[in-house]
Amino acid sequence: MISNIGNLAIWEWFKLRRRWMLWILLVFALLFAQLAVWGAFFSYNGVKETGGELTVPAALQQQQGRIPRTVRCNDLLSGDAARQPADLDSQVVAGLTAQCRQQEAALPARLARGYSNFTLPGSIPNALGTVQTLGLILMAILTASAIGIDYGAGTLRSVLTQGTGRWPYLTAKLLTLAILTLLGLLVAVGSVAVSSTIAAGLAGAAPAAVGTAATWSDAGTALFKAWISIIPYIALTAFVTVVARSSAAGMAIGLGYYFFEQLIVALLSNLFTWFQNVADFLLVRNISAWTGAGGGFPGGAPLPEATQAIVVLAVYTLLLGGIAFWLFERRDVQGATGGG
Amino acid sequence: MDTLDYVIETTALTKRYGDVVAVNELTLKVPRGGVFGFLGPNGSGKTTTMGMLLGLVHATSGQARIFGDSAFHPATLRRVGAMVETPTFYPYLSGRANLRYFQAIGRRGSPADIDRLLRLVDLGKRADSKFATYSLGMKQRLGVALALLGDPELVFLDEPTNGLDPAGVVEVRELIRELGTGGRTVVLSSHLLAETELVCDNVAVLSRGKLIAQGTIKELLREHDALRLRTTDDAAARTLLGTLPWVEGVDQQDGTLLVAAPQARAWEVARALADRQIYLNELVPVHRTLEEFFMEITGTDPNTGREKS
Repeated sequence: MISNIGNLAIWEWFKLRRRWMLWILLVFALLFAQLAVWGAFFSYNGVKETGGELTVPAALQQQQGRIPRTVRCNDLLSGDAARQPADLDSQVVAGLTAQCRQQEAALPARLARGYSNFTLPGSIPNALGTVQTLGLILMAILTASAIGIDYGAGTLRSVLTQGTGRWPYLTAKLLTLAILTLLGLLVAVGSVAVSSTIAAGLAGAAPAAVGTAATWSDAGTALFKAWISIIPYIALTAFVTVVARSSAAGMAIGLGYYFFEQLIVALLSNLFTWFQNVADFLLVRNISAWTGAGGGFPGGAPLPEATQAIVVLAVYTLLLGGIAFWLFERRDVQGATGGG
Repeated sequence: MDTLDYVIETTALTKRYGDVVAVNELTLKVPRGGVFGFLGPNGSGKTTTMGMLLGLVHATSGQARIFGDSAFHPATLRRVGAMVETPTFYPYLSGRANLRYFQAIGRRGSPADIDRLLRLVDLGKRADSKFATYSLGMKQRLGVALALLGDPELVFLDEPTNGLDPAGVVEVRELIRELGTGGRTVVLSSHLLAETELVCDNVAVLSRGKLIAQGTIKELLREHDALRLRTTDDAAARTLLGTLPWVEGVDQQDGTLLVAAPQARAWEVARALADRQIYLNELVPVHRTLEEFFMEITGTDPNTGREKS
């Protein structure tokens, strides 16, 4: 049985790797990983160059009605009259300078944190934070497509008449998707490692270490957590695709649910205090809680504990996956339903 | 025949979809070897029965066995090849890649067989084109190739000549005939009865989910042989012949009487009529084709091809 599932998983990969969709989704994941690294790099350089920037609202500017502008703390603190903003009232400048002095104390820690976000190993948890969120969406698309095509093209009939067995076939599909998720994350991590090395070279000397820097163990934990967090979402999409026998339904629910849940939690938690207890058992909130990501729409309540989150995620995976398997095993197989 | 001589056995096999009975207590035995015709008008339950035999459709009640085992057993299915309804393949894979995939997941034969099968169904030149670009006939031929992967002992072919040009139909017919030799069994479902008559040894006829006839084509057609008569008094002859125990029916057709009776009893018909002073002007044995037989027993309207309600 294990050998049958292993064989089916290998050949699932044979099918998936011939689809453009897989590679397009991977490119998206890599782009977002790069965005996280280079975003952190440019942000660090900005802080290093400017010493931090403050926004001056239009109301504080001498010429009313202008758009808000920024001033650099390095200019304000330089004592050089030529670098002081000439278009601002002296009192406003004094206030901004005082604010910059306050920030100056925290600047080394901020720079160290910023540097860590685009250099190894800290760049890995930083990038995975972005890639994991996107990964939920990408894997929802891939899962719905990989399972839904057998309904859309009617190939489930051809597959099952080969004597593969129903549950081994679905197991192999889900196993392949879970492995591909991990491989996708590893490829993203690899690309992050390369770009982090380049970015570190471009950034020059590291700032003096302040506080606790990220370790390789943190990077490994972030990778593991990102991978595990996507699996319940694969189960959700597989469940919807099997129930509806449609990749379109799987994609729609997979994509929509992520935002819908956060919107509902933000709205109802503010309206009804009891809803907070319900929200603590919802899928996306527990995914955010497990990965330690802030997540959620503004107004959302604090996230549950990570221990509770992993239990809730395991229950979701087993429940949604279990129903999908039961239906897959029980239902009659029809011809093509159209779509992919 | 011993049980092992039957590759397919169904016992009171029934499939209901709500109030609709698609297959009604079907008890069927398909002998090993040769080409078995599975006939019936559209909606008669052929494809649903095939689905139950192939483990695609769950029976409401009754049993379906292939090689004496449950039709849902994967090991049983590995000995079976099938093309049910329209062939279904992955549109973004080539014909060759599709066959390679199905060969690998079913562990049927070796990859080297794929080229042989592609040549056999005349798809060698388009083997590397995507399935989505194939014509209906090409898709059908790839479906036949899929059914033959791993040299199965039992092959289900559901309307294999759909979409083929006349030359393709002849090729597939020859192929089916060849497949039915050497101990392999081919279950052929087709609405082209003339084709079926040319290749099948045995047939089963379904109508409204029920088995209404089964046997060798020769036996079935013999059972339904007829005599065409013109007499000096057709009305009296019709009344008289209707009373004979071995006459199954007498119809008036185009100014003649069509008597459903074995042709070997033609002389008895002549004598019975002569005994009542009714004399024959003409007596012609009528050999029915499978198509005529099918139309008659299923009550199919020859003009529409549908069962008369």
